[in-house]
Amino acid sequence: MFEMLGNQFFLVRNYPRAAVMLEKALLRDPQNKLIRRKLIICYTQIGEVQKAFDIFLSLIKEDVDFIINTDPVDDDCPCPELVYNMESRIPENLSSLDFHLVAGMLWLYCDLHRSIEFFRSAHELAPSNPRIKAALAILENRSRKSSPSSEKMQ
Amino acid sequence: MALTNSLTHDILNSLGEGVFTVDKNFRITFLNQAAEKITGLQKEEVLGKFCKHVFSSDRCTDACPIVKVLETGKNLFEQEATILHKNGHRLKIRLNASILHNHETRAPLGGIISFREISSLEEMVRNIERTAHFYGVVGHSKAMREIFQLIEEVSDSDASVFIQGESGTGKEMIADAIQKTSLRKDKPYIKVNCSVFPDQLLASELFGHVKGAFTGAIKDRIGRFEMANHGTLFLDEVAEMPLHTQIQLLRVLQEGTFERVGESITRRTDVRIIAATNHNIEEAIETGKFREDLYYRLNVIPIEIPPLRERPEDIPFLIEHFLNKFSTTYKKDIHEIEDAAMELLLCYSWPGNIRELENAIEYAFARCKENIIRLPLLPPKIRKEAHRFPAPLPSTHEPLQESEYIRLRRVLEKHQWNRSRAAQELGMGRTTLWRKLKAYGLVNPRKEEK
Repeated sequence: MFEMLGNQFFLVRNYPRAAVMLEKALLRDPQNKLIRRKLIICYTQIGEVQKAFDIFLSLIKEDVDFIINTDPVDDDCPCPELVYNMESRIPENLSSLDFHLVAGMLWLYCDLHRSIEFFRSAHELAPSNPRIKAALAILENRSRKSSPSSEKMQ
Repeated sequence: MALTNSLTHDILNSLGEGVFTVDKNFRITFLNQAAEKITGLQKEEVLGKFCKHVFSSDRCTDACPIVKVLETGKNLFEQEATILHKNGHRLKIRLNASILHNHETRAPLGGIISFREISSLEEMVRNIERTAHFYGVVGHSKAMREIFQLIEEVSDSDASVFIQGESGTGKEMIADAIQKTSLRKDKPYIKVNCSVFPDQLLASELFGHVKGAFTGAIKDRIGRFEMANHGTLFLDEVAEMPLHTQIQLLRVLQEGTFERVGESITRRTDVRIIAATNHNIEEAIETGKFREDLYYRLNVIPIEIPPLRERPEDIPFLIEHFLNKFSTTYKKDIHEIEDAAMELLLCYSWPGNIRELENAIEYAFARCKENIIRLPLLPPKIRKEAHRFPAPLPSTHEPLQESEYIRLRRVLEKHQWNRSRAAQELGMGRTTLWRKLKAYGLVNPRKEEK
């Protein structure tokens, strides 16, 4: 029930309620990648950047392509709009590091290379952060492996 | 979760209601034929799409029916919503919603919505309301509906209309409805009450006068016929018109010409006449007070408004209308009337017709401190006389759900107030009947008069 409710709230872009429901759904099914993929977006939209990054890192460690292969239309992914809005007006409540982390996470749903750019900036802002370094390594590794034709929105 | 069972498909496709199902991601997994017909969408073009994107319902964002069912655990019934038709128009629907569960784990797999369009239903209701409230005239009885129908039938005619009816039956409102439905609805509409002008001044009022025509005529003045040129003139209380003015009116009707008082220039006018009276016009003709030739000129389309006592089925509609009206006027939220008060109003004879009913409701309204009109708030005259001189039960009106009060009274009158026989026909004991008579305050009017 929680997953279904979370899906509907996500569909209508009610991120705070979606986050609550998807969190509950994840407790019952912690490995569910669909829930985790949506929850990352929800957390970025309600200012829970570290929670988003926790799930993001675990998911890309497990299956980075699961985020990369998100279809903006078929999966009703809001990220293209979210990154556009974010870059046109940087949210005041985010520190510079959080902004780059959020942008890096959201861009991965649309464009691997743009995501890497933001993670590099985040790494420059926090060079000693091992988790950012790990995420960046996964993405760069994935970038090296992929052929240009397999990536989206380039 | 796709519905693969062909029997299920056949069943769902046989329904008159639209049905669609979604999976737990709110992607459409099924759309029946009725839903295709209502929305103009083909199943193939919507399967796999998010329901929000397909139907764009006003409920998607804040009040998704499936979410409501998930949250409350109770199915939803008869909820109103709007969805988008393929052609871009919004459709009003009434829907039911429930959840599809996994039979073993009871985990929700998706949702099912059944719906029917109510836009056309509402249109039908509006039409019924239109006939019950015809251009501001409230009437649901057969007699009134026939009048409304007649008005619509003659709406493209310029023929004169002659309205007869007791005082307070709403002759002026009928005249207004005739004007509003006529081809002259956008032209001048002038009203003259013939009874309020002294004999010598009515002609001046209707046809105008020139300066010096009579004492007090200090300048030229056009009359109502000129004001109403190309439009409509309502002559209320026309039977009060003096004979010499009737001759002038007859000439206007026959030739379309007249002269202002005190002037010899003949003027032409194009006016449709609606006349009304509460007098017995045949009697006025017989006694020579009204010209027969004028009557026939005016009476091309005769309309006779029955008194309210002959159409009690209109009373509840009129009461509702006045409650709404006075709720606005007095800024009170009173839209109900208790049964006993309604019974009383139904059996009163209403000699003053609708005007008297309106006054009675306004009286009760002014006194009312609750949100319901109760019997003691009605004017004392009505409370007193409704039982003493009840309106005769009409034999011609359409069958209504007969109230107990009316049924008791009908049976008692049938048996000349013999309670034993009445009780027998009503299938109740004499004691029960006596108790009911007491409760309703029903007394034999003949005994009361003595």
